[in-house]
Amino acid sequence: MIAAIKAPLIDWSALAPFTSLTVGAVVVLIAGLVGSARLRSWLVPGLALVTLAVTAVELLSRWNHPKVIVSEALRVDNLTVTLGLLCVGAAAFAVILSLRSDTEEGVGRGEYHSLLLFTTIGMLILIAANDLVTIFVGLELLSIPLYVLCATELRREHSLEAGLKYLIVGSVGSATLLYGLALIYGATGSTSLPKIGVAISDTGALTDPLLLAGMALAIAGLSFKASAAPFHQWTPDVYEGAPTPVTTFMATATKAAALGILLRILVGPLLPAVDDWAPVIAVIATLSIVVGNFGALGQDSLKRMLAWSSVAQVGYLLAGLVVATSLGIGALVFYLVVYAVMTLAAFAVVIENERTSDDGERLSGFAGLGRRRPWLAGAMTVSMLSLAGLPPTGGFIGKLAIINADASGGWMWLAIVLVLGSLVSLGYYLRVIATMWMTEGSAEKTPVVKQAREIVAVALLAAAVTIAAGVLPSWPLERAQDVGQTVISSR
Amino acid sequence: MNIGWYLAVSTIIFAIGAAGVLTKRNALVILLCLELMLNAANLALVAFSRMWGNGDGQIFAIIVMVVAACEVTVGLGLIVAIHRRGLVVDADELSELRG
Amino acid sequence: MELTLLLLLPLATGLLGAVLGNRLVKPLAVLGGLGTLGLAVGLALNYDTALGGSQFTVDKLWVKPLGIHWALTIDGLNLALVVLTAFVYASVVVACALREQENPRLFYFHLGLGASAVLGAFLAQDLILFVLFFDLMLVPFYFLVGQWGTGDRVGATTKMVIYTLAGSLLMLAAAVATGALTASHHGQHVDFLISNLQRLPLGKGTQQWVFLCFAAAFLVKMPAVPLHGWLKDAYKSMPLPVLALFSGVLSKVAAYGFLKLALPLFPDAAASFQDLLLGIGVLSIVYGSALAFTTNDARLVVGYSSIAQLGFILIGIFSLTSDGAQGALLQMVNHGIVTVALVLIVGVLASRAKGSEDLGSMGGIAMGAPVLAVVFLIAAFANLAMPASANFVGEFLILKGVFDSVTVVAVIACLGVAMAAVYMLRAYIRAMHGPDTNGVEQRDLSLREALPILPAIALILALALSPQPLLKRSEGPATAAVIPAAKAANIDPIQTATAAQGKR
Repeated sequence: MIAAIKAPLIDWSALAPFTSLTVGAVVVLIAGLVGSARLRSWLVPGLALVTLAVTAVELLSRWNHPKVIVSEALRVDNLTVTLGLLCVGAAAFAVILSLRSDTEEGVGRGEYHSLLLFTTIGMLILIAANDLVTIFVGLELLSIPLYVLCATELRREHSLEAGLKYLIVGSVGSATLLYGLALIYGATGSTSLPKIGVAISDTGALTDPLLLAGMALAIAGLSFKASAAPFHQWTPDVYEGAPTPVTTFMATATKAAALGILLRILVGPLLPAVDDWAPVIAVIATLSIVVGNFGALGQDSLKRMLAWSSVAQVGYLLAGLVVATSLGIGALVFYLVVYAVMTLAAFAVVIENERTSDDGERLSGFAGLGRRRPWLAGAMTVSMLSLAGLPPTGGFIGKLAIINADASGGWMWLAIVLVLGSLVSLGYYLRVIATMWMTEGSAEKTPVVKQAREIVAVALLAAAVTIAAGVLPSWPLERAQDVGQTVISSR
Repeated sequence: MNIGWYLAVSTIIFAIGAAGVLTKRNALVILLCLELMLNAANLALVAFSRMWGNGDGQIFAIIVMVVAACEVTVGLGLIVAIHRRGLVVDADELSELRG
Repeated sequence: MELTLLLLLPLATGLLGAVLGNRLVKPLAVLGGLGTLGLAVGLALNYDTALGGSQFTVDKLWVKPLGIHWALTIDGLNLALVVLTAFVYASVVVACALREQENPRLFYFHLGLGASAVLGAFLAQDLILFVLFFDLMLVPFYFLVGQWGTGDRVGATTKMVIYTLAGSLLMLAAAVATGALTASHHGQHVDFLISNLQRLPLGKGTQQWVFLCFAAAFLVKMPAVPLHGWLKDAYKSMPLPVLALFSGVLSKVAAYGFLKLALPLFPDAAASFQDLLLGIGVLSIVYGSALAFTTNDARLVVGYSSIAQLGFILIGIFSLTSDGAQGALLQMVNHGIVTVALVLIVGVLASRAKGSEDLGSMGGIAMGAPVLAVVFLIAAFANLAMPASANFVGEFLILKGVFDSVTVVAVIACLGVAMAAVYMLRAYIRAMHGPDTNGVEQRDLSLREALPILPAIALILALALSPQPLLKRSEGPATAAVIPAAKAANIDPIQTATAAQGKR
């Protein structure tokens, strides 16, 4: 006789984004075993895109339906939906951008795409994490496939090294975070974020050195992943060494995931300790802005320049986090999305230029691009103007929102730092624009490589969205503030 | 026994691991030191678990072990791949990429 | 609605031209230029002078979460400047259409974007909107100099952008701070509408640094003397019609910004920095005149004379008197028109002297070119503020205002008037008279060359005959702009404001 057991209640619909991604990742891995190379070359990316599309739809359906699932391990709320969509979108564009790259044929199309999907699951779990254990598992699930992906550009001498370097630095970050989480658990006696929040506000444990040390280590650990200074040293090397589509994915999605969970921890259970962590974040933001902007000056490799610039951009984002109000978080989320879109445009152009020009990834490879391919150069121009924060782009509105939040929250000096940082950043962003439009040069490959329509389309789409976010920012900004509101009210 | 002793040991192990990662040149040794850091956290977790009298920390520690194993596997895989291509497994040499 | 249309028309035609292709670009751009001018003139004629105040107002919430309004209006302060911008843009587009450009699609797109941004800055009634357009102005000119310029164009344009953006970005932070700090100072939520901010002034200490950020942005843009480092290279490498637009209207946005924003929003700070800004103004007059006197480059004579003229405008505004402000406003319009004429004339002169803009390689052009000589002379006389020109009225009002408020400054500034006569006449004589030792081409103005210049000359003459309509409309708002600051500085702003017109 078989005894009936009481099965745990599982909300399948809320869990759907996670399950569908997992199933998709496995299916894609198996599809990679199909014998015919031609079949494989469209079947595998196709399946990956279908998986991501399904996940995106499932995520969208959870908008405004906050729910805590899997015995309080995951929280599917508006923050999860927004940043989850960002990561899923970034993964989809990474798939599209690597359609024509020959690298993944060497490592196996199935494995490449499967790893990409697994990383995306890790991001989703990390963003949705409602428990210290989930945070760690999500972070590692995000990181480990990414280490491998970084090393897949077998043609490039440095790719393997980049992978190993990323693994070492990333693991240091993970270990630091883990130790911080352990200390937080030690101080509060629970691994669940809401219970930690309750414990902190109940016992007034704010002066507990254990908690403060844990908080500092956790912030440091996540700063590694978000590549905020002074934990950024790996960024230029890894960005340069990794295959460019993977770099694109890292620059957009990994940052979003790391900042998302930082947001969830700091503005969630640790909000009572805001006076303790806000100065720390402000210092990290300042350092990132200074180090990133000065590091990017004079870089000749576009990928390295964008890596340094991404360090500075994280600084701008953290400047929004410092103000733990819905205004600040709204600005952060809005800018995060805009940042992802404009970075996508820039990297798409770099990928296309790498394919078609000799010196594609170097600045010199961009000489005369405005004459050769005005649309591509136009997309890059929009992206650079937006990253620099000039109107009429989303970057301008995003910076405006962050400055507004800082000024309202009494962090005026941070707003000034942000503004001065933007001024320095013109030094390298304008250099790219000047090289494309104002210098002669023909660096086309011989024989001429056929242009990749889908990559140009991605670049133009991203550039158009960047402009749209600058011209009609009301709707996305309001949604971003909704997200901020849910994060604050969820505690 | 005071929790402080456990914490002290775990802190020392963590510091040794961190120092090793920063100073050692051989990638294999660096991986070992990373393991030290993770296990320091495990020790702390288990000790705290005992202190609070709940199992959360132990579950956490077990999961960390699994994850650490995955990480090392990937790390070793990369080292083997680098070795096969005839490159040097030396962290300083790795930084042919500057920075 | 009309104002939104006016603002977007240059950009829309530019964009359409860029998309539709090479053949349609020029007609579309000219159509856009003339359409903008027609629309602006129509609005000016329909502006009810008796009623005064803000008319044709558009006010929509644009970015709700940040409280930024799409607020445009025409009042006595910006009416003349909007018409000026439309006029200059139309002239410039016509001038460009009569030449050949490389890559015309992008050229006219950038030109239209620039004109739209300038119009936006003049029309904006929301602080952030103003800042947005002020920053946006720079983007098209970055490309126009960098792509279509001559000489070391990339270096010149980069220098220009870095200089101006240093000020603009500080202004952006200061503008946002104005809103946020006003809210915390008065304990109530405010948006960025200038009229609302004006009602709730900031605390004195805060005003100071916010004002300085704004002043930095405006002074770089004008440019005023210690901050004029970018001017020489940028002017040297700018294509001439672009220079006409740039020098004719962009610098006016900065001067207008002082009147529209800096004085009404930060009256206490304006009063306490009055001496500093008067000093900068006087320095600009003297130093700019001296530079214009020593340079041999016809184009730079115009450029440096702009520095001096804007120095006049600056001291007019910071006399904190009604006369001074009104004179400054009149002078902005005058200088805009005269500059367009002069810049285009420099182009004609250069074409006679084998493409060289050096005064030394000209000489004797007048002998075979009487029309050109007359046209140049009219523009030169206007620029040196010959009595009976509108510039004379403008400078007279400025000097009168300054004399009433800070006498010393007025005395030194009078020197500037004399110097202007010297450098303008020197340039005129060296280019047009004297022996023809360089073998210049003594050809008169062709129709093609005259077409964009003559309207400007006609306007100079018209304004000289009757500046009253302009003064009548600007009197009220100009006085209103200086009153708060004048009160803070203990100056009576309205010492018999209409005396000057009476004398004429």
